[in-house]
Order: sequence, then structure tokens, then C-alpha cells
Amino acid sequence: MKRLLLIFAALLAIAAPRALAAGHDDEGAESRIDPKEIIFEHLGDGYGWEVPFDHHHRIPLPCIVWGSDGLHVFSSARITGGETYRDGNVEFRLGGKDSDYRGKIVEILPDGREERPFDLSITKNVCALFISVIAVVAMMMALVRYYRRHGNRAPRKGLGFLELLIDFIYGSVIKSTLGKNTPRFAPYLLTVFFFIFAMNLFGLMVVFPGGANLTGNIAITLVLALLTFLVTNIFGNRHYWKEIFWPDVPLWLKFPLPIMPLIEIFGMFTKPAALTVRLFANMMGGHMIVLVLTLLIFIFAAVSAVAGGVATAVSMVFSVFMLLIDVLVSFIQAYVFTMLSTIFISLANEEPHGHHAPAAPQK
Amino acid sequence: MELFTPDFGLIFWMFVAFGVLFLILWKFAWPVILKSVDSRADLIDKGVEYAEHAKEQLDNAQHTADELIKSAQRQQADMLREADRMKSQIIDEARTAAQAEAQKVMDAAKASIAQQQKEAEQQLRADIGTIALDIAQRVVKQQMSDDKAQQKLVDKLLTEIESQN
Repeated sequence: MKRLLLIFAALLAIAAPRALAAGHDDEGAESRIDPKEIIFEHLGDGYGWEVPFDHHHRIPLPCIVWGSDGLHVFSSARITGGETYRDGNVEFRLGGKDSDYRGKIVEILPDGREERPFDLSITKNVCALFISVIAVVAMMMALVRYYRRHGNRAPRKGLGFLELLIDFIYGSVIKSTLGKNTPRFAPYLLTVFFFIFAMNLFGLMVVFPGGANLTGNIAITLVLALLTFLVTNIFGNRHYWKEIFWPDVPLWLKFPLPIMPLIEIFGMFTKPAALTVRLFANMMGGHMIVLVLTLLIFIFAAVSAVAGGVATAVSMVFSVFMLLIDVLVSFIQAYVFTMLSTIFISLANEEPHGHHAPAAPQK
Repeated sequence: MELFTPDFGLIFWMFVAFGVLFLILWKFAWPVILKSVDSRADLIDKGVEYAEHAKEQLDNAQHTADELIKSAQRQQADMLREADRMKSQIIDEARTAAQAEAQKVMDAAKASIAQQQKEAEQQLRADIGTIALDIAQRVVKQQMSDDKAQQKLVDKLLTEIESQN
């Protein structure tokens, strides 16, 4: 606790003079902040990684683009300041404010038009993705190492909590829903849970290893939902497909006009869509609320010093509260995503009715 | 809006990252972790079962011991009672035997006394006869000269004495 306070005080000591200096430097500019732009900049992706208390320097990350004349790899530091980078015969820069590709790398064609190259850059989000992967692997390997070393002894503290989580997800979500299919799908579902959970929590950290709004980015949740969609449909059994194309309903609902089959096929796609949007919207919403609360300080500070002071106190309290809620939401959303994936997969692997006794929930 | 248009690069890297993560965990982590969790659960179950069994046995042992103690106490009480009974019996027997013996001794003594009395009587009778004869002899010797009437008197006296006895 003492050490935490010390770190906090040190951070304040570093931040305060710089913030004051920044306030004096461009007073005119600060008074007209554009909250929308700031929020979306923070929620979105970027080619460099911001460092605390500094608006000009970013941790450079590699840009990998496939332009009109082949592969180009360069450091993001060359373009994040708004410069144009010339590599061989082609020029790259970030799309400007009025561009269709705002904030993305664009290639400037000879006639001055901007074209988006094939962009596989290691952006902030991709880097955060790798960090999450490494973190999850490190945690699980630590647990594996513990088991190898200690046999049947139960782990304590951090590893014990990790094991508790695994056991909770495995036992009460996966095993109780999937029954005898558990060994086939448990690895996928457990991976999904811990990956999402790690990404959520890293997203809540404000500085370097975290700070990327990963699960609040629709590309990430889309891929996760797509994977569940693939697993569901690839491993779905005959009964599952029969229920889609020839469901157990009165004939007129499916014969001349395939009403039910159409609904079922539509349902196949709404399930992953719901997964995508649920995780995305929940996480993005949490980030946005905290950002808005923080921005309130600056908006009110532009009005008057007293209002700024009051707003600072109030929004700090609310931000901390929201961040704590977001920790809870991080867990709940990872849990919900895993649980729904489990249910979709188990529905696709259900045995036909009447041919088996209802699977008793297993402990 | 940028937020709602998935970026291709991110999708690509997400696939790669998830694939790598899944392969690593699938190959190295989940089997070991799930097996360990399961085997420990089994071990704990077995331990609980063993403990329950042991407790049952212990309870049984306690019960048996109680039973043994109770029966031992009962046996002891029986034995004490038996001993008590035997003691009084022995005493009784001894007393009867002693009484019989004493009776016998007394009877013998009585018999011997009677015998001796008889003998003494006979002795006495013989002695008295002898004494009387002696006396008579002496009387006769002294009074040889006396007439036969005196002799008769003596005889008569003697008979009297005898009948007195």
C-alpha cells in the first residue's frame, strides 16, 4: 500500500509540471478541445503507442504495407507526426482529416490521389494483441510448470486464482453444458475465455502494456464470433443441419415456402452477430464513459477554475467507480461470450430428441 | 465511422494471434491443467472416501471396544457373584463337615465313655466282688468259728449293696 502511494505520488510529481506547462503553452488551443475527436482517437487504433504525459512521442511500431510496387516495412515514427515518408518510388503518409482513410496509412499516387495499400502493420492494437497472447501463455505455462513441479499439490495465491477461474469456466460452463463432447471443445472455449478476459483487462490499463481498446474494436470481436460460428457449423452434427433445413414443424411452414428454414438460416448468422456486437459495445461503452468523464474536467476547466476543480473531483471519483465496474464487466463479458459459444456449440451437437435421455447436468 | 468498419490488418493479425495462442495452449497447457485439476479432484474424493471409511471403522472399533468392556464387566460381575456363592458354599460345606466331624468325635467320645463306664462298672463289680470276698474272707477268717447264720448275713448284706447300685 505504501509503495502504491509512493508510485502514485511520483506519477503526480512528473505529471503536474508538464500538465501545467502544456496548459500555459497553448492556452488558446486547449480552450477549444474537440471531445469527439479525442474520444475516437483513444478508442481507435494507431500506428504508434502513446506514452504517458507526452503528446509528441510515441513508441514506434513497425508498419508493414503492400503498396503499388511491393512490400514496404518502415517504422511508424516516420509518419505519425504527419510527415510523408518516401520509400523507393512511393510515398506514404497518414490520411488527413478530410481523407476517406483518416488516420490510416495511405499511399500517395503520382496524380496526388490517396490510395489505401494492403496494410498489415503492427499497429497499437496488434501489438496489444501479441502482449495479451504472451500474457495468457505465460500465465498458463506458469500453472503448467507448477503442476509439473508439485504434482497434486494445490497452487496458492495468483496461480490458485487462475486455477479457480479455469475450474469455474471448465466445470460450471463448459462441462455442464457440453457433457460428453467436453474434451472436443473445451480447449477452444477456454482459450476464448482467457484471451477475451486478458484483452479486456489490458484494455483497462491506461499506460503502455495496456491502453489499447482491443475488445472494444469490432474487428477483434468479429474474428472471435466468426471462430465460434466456424466451430459451431463445422462440428455441427446431422441433427443440427436437419433442424435448419427440415425442422420439426408443420409441413406448410417449410414446404412450398421454406419459412422456417429461412428463419433458421438467418438465426445461424444472427448468433455470431450478437456475439460480436455484445462484446464490442460493452467494452467500448465502458471505455467511452471513462473517457467522457475525464474530458469533463477539461470542458469545465475551460469555463472556470472552480468548475474545473469540482469537475476534477467528481469525475475522478466516477472514473474510478466506472473502471472498477469495467473490471467486473470484463469478466462478465468474457464469461458471457464463452457461455454463449458453449451453448451454440452444444446445440449444434445435440442428439435427436427421443433418442437419448436428457443429459443430466454434470458437476 | 471508423469504429464500426473492421480493419483488415487487425482481422488478419487477430486470426494469427488467436491461432498461435490456441495451438500453444491446446498443445501444452490445457491437457496438463485439466488433467491435473481432475486428478486432484479425484485424489480429494478418494481421500474423503478413505477418511469416511476410516471414521466408520473407528466408530466400529469404538463400538466393539465398548461391547468388549461391557461383556468383560458382566463377566467380572458374574465371576464375583460365582465366587461369592462358592465361598458361602464352601463355608457351609466346611461347617457341615466340621459339625459332622464334631458329632462323630462326640459320638466316639460318648461311646468310649460309655464303654469305659461299663468297663469301670464291671471292674468295680469285680473289685467289689473281690473286696467283698476279701472282706468276707477276713470276716470268715476272723469268725471261722461263727455259725452259719453270720455267713448268711454277710451274703444278704452283699446282695443288698449290689441291688443298691
